[in-house]
Amino acid sequence: MKYFSVEYISIFAGFILLLIGLWGIISQKNILKIIISFSIIDTSIHLILVSIGYIKNRTAPIIDGPVTRADAAQQVTDPIPQALVLTAIVIGVGITALMLSYALKLYEKNKSLEIDKYKSLKW
Amino acid sequence: MVSPIYIIAVLLGIAFLLGLFKQPGANFVRFAAIITLAFPVFVSVGWLIHFIIDPTEPFMVYTAGALPPFSINLKMGLEEAFMTSAVNVLGFFGFIYLYKTLKAQGEKAVVLFLVLIMGLNVVIMTRDIFNLFVFLEISSIALIGMIFLKRDLNSFSAGFKYLIAVTVISSFLLIGIGFIYYLGGTLNIDDFIAKNNGLTRGLSTAVFLVLIAVLLELKPFPANGWALDVYQAAHPGINAIISAGTATAALFAVYKLLPFGGDLWLNIAVIIGLITFLGSNFLGISQKNANRLLGYSSIGQIGLLLAVMGFSKHLGEHFQMVFFALFISHFLAKAGLFWLSGLIAKDEIKDWAVLRKKPYLLFLFGLFVFTLIGFPPFPSFYGKWQLVMDLASNYNYWWIGLILLGSIFEGVYLFRWLGYAMKLEPEEGSSIKPDWEKIIPIAVFGLLIFLASYFTNRIFPTSFNINLIPVYFILFLFVIDFLPAYIKNTIAIAGMGYYAFYIYPGIEQDTLRLVFAGIFLLGGILTMFAGYSVKGRRPGFFPFAIMMYAGLIGLVEAENLFQFFFSWELMTLGSYILIIRGKKSILHAYNYMLFSLGGAYMIFLGIALAYNGHTSISLEMLQTASFPGWAYTLLAIGFLTKTAALGLHIWLPGAHAEAESDVSPMVSGILLKGGVFGLLVLFMAMGGEQAGQHPLLYALGWLGAITALGGNLMAVFQEDAKRLLAYSSVGNLGYILFAFAFMTNIGWLTGLTYSINHFLFKTLLFLAIGGVVWRVKTHNMYEMGGLIKRMPWSFIAVLIGIITLAGIPPLSGYAGKWLFYNAVITKGWYFQGAIVFFAGTIAFLYCFKLIYSVFLGQPKDKFRKVKEAPIWYLIPQFILIIGIMVFSARPDLILKPIGDLLSQSTYFPTDPLSWENVTASTNLGYWSGYKIMLVIGGMFVVLLLWLVVMSRKAKSVKQFNMVYAGERPFTPETTHYSHNMFAPFNKALGFLTTPVVTSFWNGVNDTSHAFADSFRKIYTGNGQTYIAHILAYIVIVYLILL
Repeated sequence: MKYFSVEYISIFAGFILLLIGLWGIISQKNILKIIISFSIIDTSIHLILVSIGYIKNRTAPIIDGPVTRADAAQQVTDPIPQALVLTAIVIGVGITALMLSYALKLYEKNKSLEIDKYKSLKW
Repeated sequence: MVSPIYIIAVLLGIAFLLGLFKQPGANFVRFAAIITLAFPVFVSVGWLIHFIIDPTEPFMVYTAGALPPFSINLKMGLEEAFMTSAVNVLGFFGFIYLYKTLKAQGEKAVVLFLVLIMGLNVVIMTRDIFNLFVFLEISSIALIGMIFLKRDLNSFSAGFKYLIAVTVISSFLLIGIGFIYYLGGTLNIDDFIAKNNGLTRGLSTAVFLVLIAVLLELKPFPANGWALDVYQAAHPGINAIISAGTATAALFAVYKLLPFGGDLWLNIAVIIGLITFLGSNFLGISQKNANRLLGYSSIGQIGLLLAVMGFSKHLGEHFQMVFFALFISHFLAKAGLFWLSGLIAKDEIKDWAVLRKKPYLLFLFGLFVFTLIGFPPFPSFYGKWQLVMDLASNYNYWWIGLILLGSIFEGVYLFRWLGYAMKLEPEEGSSIKPDWEKIIPIAVFGLLIFLASYFTNRIFPTSFNINLIPVYFILFLFVIDFLPAYIKNTIAIAGMGYYAFYIYPGIEQDTLRLVFAGIFLLGGILTMFAGYSVKGRRPGFFPFAIMMYAGLIGLVEAENLFQFFFSWELMTLGSYILIIRGKKSILHAYNYMLFSLGGAYMIFLGIALAYNGHTSISLEMLQTASFPGWAYTLLAIGFLTKTAALGLHIWLPGAHAEAESDVSPMVSGILLKGGVFGLLVLFMAMGGEQAGQHPLLYALGWLGAITALGGNLMAVFQEDAKRLLAYSSVGNLGYILFAFAFMTNIGWLTGLTYSINHFLFKTLLFLAIGGVVWRVKTHNMYEMGGLIKRMPWSFIAVLIGIITLAGIPPLSGYAGKWLFYNAVITKGWYFQGAIVFFAGTIAFLYCFKLIYSVFLGQPKDKFRKVKEAPIWYLIPQFILIIGIMVFSARPDLILKPIGDLLSQSTYFPTDPLSWENVTASTNLGYWSGYKIMLVIGGMFVVLLLWLVVMSRKAKSVKQFNMVYAGERPFTPETTHYSHNMFAPFNKALGFLTTPVVTSFWNGVNDTSHAFADSFRKIYTGNGQTYIAHILAYIVIVYLILL
């Protein structure tokens, strides 16, 4: 039954979300939907990263109250993936914002959010 | 030394502070940014100098009070110092270039620029893989933000495609990093490499994700449409940063991470890199948009650099040098080209013709192109040489072939483009705004190329004995290009004269080399005399003329194959520019360059094949060549492109005929001998006499015979005097090839006699006809006629020339014929000999046509007042005539020492020819040039006197109209006696001159363009297609690796 534990379910869910996101980026014609697909990918990666740092029956890597500095190594999950995810979230926000501003400007110029309409550069 | 951490601190800190200023476009912001950008240059260049002078241990920056792997660390070693210096110098000058653009875009753009440069520095220095990811993202965001600021539809759509592509790629990178940490237990690059020697299955997938992602950042072909669109849409100033900066950092990231994957990934890097180099350059050939074309070229070059990384094991200790040489060429040239593109501010490559209005920019453009392709003395030449030789030592011939093929494709579009810039008429009203802030960065990078060339020359093991005196002389001629032509001409002639004295003692004993050195240097000086008739400055002529001669004389001087190839390429470069100076030469010079490039790479590949298993690159090495069959054939084909053997000749007629009047004799009489000399070097290596039955020689003998026939036949049907002479050269070089292919003592003597003769009479004829053309301003013989009275001296010169050409006694052409028959009979090649003999009779036809249509018959009205050719054309002609006379009367002066040399050498011990004073004799008979001269001369004088006496009562006839009543000529020339002069022969033999070869090469050209054109349709312009390419690329590489 080990595959039904939380870390396996979450990592599995993460990959499913990743595939959904990639599928969305390729198949959706609407730029906003593409951006949403990107957000799904982003979330999926965060989920995967957090899951691989998770150690069963341990708590968040925050040293205060119940977790003391001395026994932190035995009590908390791996802090590094969580730190990575925090950084990745920040970057993801930046990229989403940039994508949205591009979408806005594209719409202002051409009154369309269909990605098929922006093919003047090619070959 | 300033710690490199301050690069980050200063750039980031100032960027934040500048973001606080509210007035958009404040000058202060940009001024502060320039000062700020100078700081990292100071730091990184300081470290670079430090490491060059004192190659100590790299300097490490530790953060967060802990040692790695528990904290992030930055490394500053020689490699990092060099790469950051490159990025920072680019950042500094790139900012200056964008100075006004950034003013329009406001202070936000300035902040983004600082962040971008900071990000690239960290990507290069960091040793932590997650940190690498973060700063790759930061620099991507900054870059895409800057693309955004151009504010037009194209940059919006291109930027968006770039953004989603980079995002998808970095998603894979991030997942890979997560699993690397999970399975490998560390995020530190050095720690990971130390801990994980063999990769487990899971870990190898994680490594796959990381490496494929960083490789995709390099825009590998064909998953790179997103990058191409940005190159096309973005501001050229930004493109320069992408091509030379972002790509540099990404390349270095790959370099750091490649050890993760071990040898397997080195091979993958080679494959991906070379596919990219080849594919990208191939698709480039049908691209017309300048910026997009530069994008193709950039991606291709990065592919080559990636492949070099993959080859690092083969290159061993040479890796750093090769990488440096190829990298610095790409870096400087590509940034410069993008910046130039911004000055021109138009899309099509044809629009670059406007550069003609600013010659110094045209010079820089040419400089960048030649640097990219890898001509000497630029760094990439050394890099490619060392790369190919080291690959050859390891049996990587297919890779070498791909590299050279890719380089040819690169040449196809770069030289077409350069030709457009040099020759097309600029569009009306177009001009270049000379913005100082844009021109300074381009000029600085141009200067840096010379600096890098010098440095490369110093560090390369093969280049220690390259004679740089001619190169410095050429540079000096560039510097004094503002002087009037006659001063520069004098300096050039003096330089060549000095050089003749300088090298004479070294080759005095080697008569063979002495003869060629004489042709190249003394012939060169003679042809330069004609240049005195040019008024004005004649910009850009002398450096390239001297470059051609320097290359030619370098061939003679060369002691090893590197010197030989260096000189060969120098000669090609110089002669290309000389040829393209002609008014209608754009296409012909382009053909010449492509054939030369193909030929040079054949030679290169031949050398590489021969080199296998050797340690020396001396010319003697060729004697014990590995793979002799392949190596010799490749070398022979390479040299034959320069001597224009049939099949490879199509560039010659146009190139020689359309060249300027005094350039034609240079490229015909003299330059062709460069190829001949190459053949001689090859034949000697093949072992002289003992190689006499080699099948290659047999084939070359046939090729020579057919070339002689074909060339002469085509010459007969020309209406253009210079074209006639050019085709005649094809035929003459056929004789020369045929004679040398005998590989007997007397065969070689024949070949050398032919070579000397061809030099004498072809230079003479081209000078004489050039002088005539100078006055009458047309090449068409049927537009001339009756010029004998106006130009008697030219007439005499042409008469002497054609007598020599046709091999009529008493002149030296007959010496060649006599030797030739001896050689044919000794060798027993009767059938081929008969073909050559037949070709010789055809030569009479065009000789007659030449003198008859130009000088005899009735003069045209418009030429009744025409003057004799300029004196500076006549002087060298009469020096040549003296030469012909001396050679005819005393052939023993030259031929005896050569014969002695040949028979004393190990190559041709069997000497059937003996000399007694002026008389040469063989088993078959004897011949004395001196006696023949006396007899025929006596007959001539008697007949002349007879004619003079008899024609005392002759009356001169008035010219009258030859057109009969009832005839309705549509063009007056159709009734001209010399138009279509040999029509009956044309009916009989004209089918032999069907341009089969031209059609063949046209077919090759059209087919490759059509393929490239249809294949590049994969770049549909749809962002989603590009993502699909990326995903498919990842899946396919993964499946191949399974």
